[in-house]
Amino acid sequence: MLEKQWMGQQVDRSICTWFWTQAHPPGHDEFGPPRVPAVIASPTYYLISIVREGVTFLACTLSEMQPLLGIEFLCRVADVLAEYFGGLNEDLIKDNYVLVYQLLDEMMDSGFPLTTEPSILKEMIAPPNFVSRVLSVVTGGSSSMSSTLPTAASSNVPWRALGIKHTNNEIYFDLVEEVDAIVNKDGFLVKCQVYGEVQGNSRLSGMPDLTLNFTNPSIISDVRFHPCVRYQDWEARQHLKFIPPDGQFKLMSYRVKGLENTPLYVKPQLSCSEGVVRVNILVGIRIDPGRTIENIVVDVPWPPTVTTAELTANHGTVLFNSSTKVCTWTIGRIPKDKSPCLTGSVNLEAGLDRLHEFPTILVGFKIMGVALSGLKVDKLEYDNIAYRVYKGFRAVTKATCYEIRT
Amino acid sequence: MNADNRKGELAELKGQLRQLAGSRAPGVEDLKRELYKKVISYLTVGIDVSSLFSEMVMCSATSDLVLKKMCYLYVGNYARGYPELALLTINFLQKDCQDDDPMIRGLALRSLCSLRVKNLVEYLVGPLQRGLKDSNGYVRSVAAIGVLKLYHIAPSSCTDNDFPVTLKALLLHDSDPQVVANCLCSLLEILSIEGNVSEAALREKESLLHRNVILSLLNRFKEFSEWAQCLVLEVVSKYVPEDAQETHDMMDVLDDRLQHANSAVVLATIKVFLHLTMSMADVHQKVYERIKAPLLTLVSSGSAEQSYAVLSHLHLLVMRAPMLFASDYKHFYCRYSDPSYVKKLKLEMLTAVANESNTYEIVTELSEYAANVDVAIARESIRAVGKIALQQYDVNAIVDRLLQFLEMEKDYVTAETLVLVKDLLRKYPQWSHDCIAVVGNVSSKSVTEPKAKAALVWMLGEYAYDMSDAPYVLEGFVQSWAEEDFAEVRLELLTAVAKCFFKRPPETVQILGAALSFGFADANQDVHDRALLYYRLLQHSVEVAERVINPPKQAVSVFAGDQSSEIKDRIFDEFNSLAVVYRQPSYMFLDKDQRSPFAFSEDTGSSIIGPQSPGREDLPSDIDARDNDLLLSAHEKEDSRAVSNGSHGYSSSKFHTLQEFTDSAFAPRSPSPTQPIRNARATPLPPAAVSSTAASPLLAVDDLLGLGPSASAEPFPPLKLNPKPVLDPASFKRKWGQLTVALTLEYTFPAQAMVGLTGPQPLVRHMQTNSVQCMASGNAPLKFFFFAQLADAPANTGFFLVELVVTTSSGLASAKIKADDSSLAPAFADSLQSALSKFGSL
Repeated sequence: MLEKQWMGQQVDRSICTWFWTQAHPPGHDEFGPPRVPAVIASPTYYLISIVREGVTFLACTLSEMQPLLGIEFLCRVADVLAEYFGGLNEDLIKDNYVLVYQLLDEMMDSGFPLTTEPSILKEMIAPPNFVSRVLSVVTGGSSSMSSTLPTAASSNVPWRALGIKHTNNEIYFDLVEEVDAIVNKDGFLVKCQVYGEVQGNSRLSGMPDLTLNFTNPSIISDVRFHPCVRYQDWEARQHLKFIPPDGQFKLMSYRVKGLENTPLYVKPQLSCSEGVVRVNILVGIRIDPGRTIENIVVDVPWPPTVTTAELTANHGTVLFNSSTKVCTWTIGRIPKDKSPCLTGSVNLEAGLDRLHEFPTILVGFKIMGVALSGLKVDKLEYDNIAYRVYKGFRAVTKATCYEIRT
Repeated sequence: MNADNRKGELAELKGQLRQLAGSRAPGVEDLKRELYKKVISYLTVGIDVSSLFSEMVMCSATSDLVLKKMCYLYVGNYARGYPELALLTINFLQKDCQDDDPMIRGLALRSLCSLRVKNLVEYLVGPLQRGLKDSNGYVRSVAAIGVLKLYHIAPSSCTDNDFPVTLKALLLHDSDPQVVANCLCSLLEILSIEGNVSEAALREKESLLHRNVILSLLNRFKEFSEWAQCLVLEVVSKYVPEDAQETHDMMDVLDDRLQHANSAVVLATIKVFLHLTMSMADVHQKVYERIKAPLLTLVSSGSAEQSYAVLSHLHLLVMRAPMLFASDYKHFYCRYSDPSYVKKLKLEMLTAVANESNTYEIVTELSEYAANVDVAIARESIRAVGKIALQQYDVNAIVDRLLQFLEMEKDYVTAETLVLVKDLLRKYPQWSHDCIAVVGNVSSKSVTEPKAKAALVWMLGEYAYDMSDAPYVLEGFVQSWAEEDFAEVRLELLTAVAKCFFKRPPETVQILGAALSFGFADANQDVHDRALLYYRLLQHSVEVAERVINPPKQAVSVFAGDQSSEIKDRIFDEFNSLAVVYRQPSYMFLDKDQRSPFAFSEDTGSSIIGPQSPGREDLPSDIDARDNDLLLSAHEKEDSRAVSNGSHGYSSSKFHTLQEFTDSAFAPRSPSPTQPIRNARATPLPPAAVSSTAASPLLAVDDLLGLGPSASAEPFPPLKLNPKPVLDPASFKRKWGQLTVALTLEYTFPAQAMVGLTGPQPLVRHMQTNSVQCMASGNAPLKFFFFAQLADAPANTGFFLVELVVTTSSGLASAKIKADDSSLAPAFADSLQSALSKFGSL
């Protein structure tokens, strides 16, 4: 547990215990997601909490505030820590207490968030990278801090420092899309949307001014931009003009609605009689996305009334977790010669004739090289720089909440 | 690590630190750093390392930045507990405040201000004054926040040194946006606390909302960091622009903030937009259209925590203007993985946005949740189907669902369904045929929950004609009287048996006897009394008993809402705050007095720092208004558990209820004494033009006390209207031509109601639920011809005709009322007005 107090009134540590018992009541999975909303009221404080990689970030306030300011700030803290330590877990934080304190000190003062942009923070507080560690060993103790103040803090481009230099000038963009689809029990696709992000990783020197064009920007329903994107240009010409931050950043996120179909179909059939449910789940490709669909996993979370399961598949592996009652069918890729099929039966508790609560099947998959919405990057142009830029684009589609109800 | 061990280790650390203190040997900084790190990590895990204080301070003479920072951290942590020792640190901190490196100046100043030791305040003022004039922006911004910290420790030394004035000057003229933002932050907090005691500070705070300040902030808006933008937007949302043009200009400047990656900025911008346009009904509606997409994206693409908080805000907007979100209902479909508090919000939104075109899909979706593993959500979704059924007209679809629910043969689903059917029947008695057919198949044995049982029993009594086996089912219930634990069910059973008796005497007479004798012997006073009352009534005359026990029923038009529209408005005013997430206005939860006593882990500081914690709303001038608010809502809360947790602790609420009671009893028509209070509130209430007076106040008292027989000859104060009047267009035209205008009425729709009035249909439907039918309507301008008829008037008489014209830009509605019996026109005008005022706040 690490605390940082900003206000005159000390917050007692016991609040964490209170929160913990609320979020993880005894008898529930201690490592599961918290069972309370992100914003709750305790008898003494109003608490805002987020959980990232098993680390809980908790903010307490006594007065009215903007809840999203609190949540966003905690998210940024988590992001910044992850960026600094190359990950986020208890041990990393324990190893770097001092650094965490320093960061928090610069990120907030007196309850008001200040600098949260990683590239600026890095100028004030050096990350614990390999180079600086080696340096301090070799030179015998030069400070790992830069003692100069960040130049960008007062420049017109607050997300980018002046005088950045890289030997290889390169910039990469990842189009990451996530499918959100629900198929109802009659087999209709009731909802299908794609949320996408354009993630950038920039290693460019100087102050490059970039223009990113899409071939088909009109399919996007709604967008959110990193502050570096000039909104007027998007409004007028539907392209992104920006001076990128250095390192990794999320350039934009978008939503594409009204997709007609999912690349995969999953057809479940359940029939009950005399305490036994016969199960038959078929999986196949509905529309070929052009690339292989990988990492296909089908999860069937059975209700607690199910006692045992005898399920087999003609392809992939099937696991039934008897404590959570989740049946996980790992398919991987769909073979060319047959369509994967899960068959078998599950048994219900004694006394139950048929299934009252039907499970919702969750399907996960991944397609490399394709953005399912069809969004394509056309070209990247650059200005204000004299060197050649190596550019790279990738796309990936993931499904994390593709639901099939039965 | 046991205690001894730890002591040993601390002593060792102490020794090592002492050795290093004076040393100038090369590499000593590294050793120091290692030791400091150890100390800090002890401190973090909660080990008391305060005994090292003097050694730590001694070692602090260093040029190493990291060491300095660690030392500042250590000192900041223990200074409050050890003020004498803290004095030791002042010297080196003050020295550092004049270092050449601005970073060190800033850090030292911040640490100095964070010591929070009262008797060291004198050492603070000088460095702060210098800091505010520093050439470096970083130092100035630290100093600006430092002023706030100084204020919390010693308010007088802050104000005496004219710090607020300096801050204000910096706010307007500093070149560094972060300095400006920090000044704004400090000033707001200082002035709102100071405002509690000083008029001047209050005026000063008002002056922050002056046009010049707002414009200077907006002009350099894009320079601010995202967090500063949130702060500025919060201030801007309180500003009232001079004219419509200025509003538009401001919105133009801020428009792209809606696309910002930071959800806090988006929400703050939305708040500004909503507040700027409160008085411009047509623009307000466009704002809803504009903010819809960003909000929906935030909900579905952000992290789970953001999504929940945004969803709470979206929920508020959906409840205010459900029609605008009608086509987005799919966004409110629950995901399997959503936590149940999110599902609950979504269910409520799905219920609210249902209209003719999407009811089928929504009800289908809700029915799927009824099979959900989460029982609470399954119940909620059945209730949601019920609420939709009460709003809509698609009987067949709903009845199909009901059948489906009952077929699931799950106790709680059956129970919820029965309650739902009962409510449906109370509102739409005309559906009895379909509904009873559904309920008829329910086996009374499978119903165990008291609410469901009471509902079933009520239906058996009410529809004894339609359900052939009603008396026999009731008999079964009566026979197991002794096993029935809930008085609620037994009460209902008595009434049902009696009603059944009036309808089918030969079959029921024996059961009635049995039920009454069980009732006499019942331990519950209410049950006993009701049995006795029925018995005496029946003894007196069966006819009179029937008139009392089973009078002809008026279909319920509107069920009591769960949260009053005042409270909702209040929460709306606090958009983008915790209030929205908690769904209570902040005065309900921020008031310390109302909360259970708790121990502050506070020492001497608390008495001084105390006033900092309440929010900005806590100005004294607000408090009266707030009390009134609370009083007003207190009686409303009695109907609604949802909000009741904020109401305890106000003993005067009872008195107010009494006041309200007398108001409504003696002056039900004239503007009641509560009216001025209502208008005095911050919430924009329609300036109602009440233009009629009551029939007879005394009669109203009779009614309230239950003295008047229910079949009273006089009309009830709320005019009883025929729910389904029939009038063909030709007769309407003729009547309109013949009659003269009996009354005119003006009403201004509040902006949030106008949001829903995109076309005539919503109002037409709303008025139908209030027994006012539409004859014709037009869209440009919005114009309606309504008619209504007295409940028990003979055919073709007792009609009221209304012409209603709504000006969309201002929300002004003017009505011309004509009536067959013009003496009733004022009473009707009143019902019309109350019906109009409910529009948009359901």
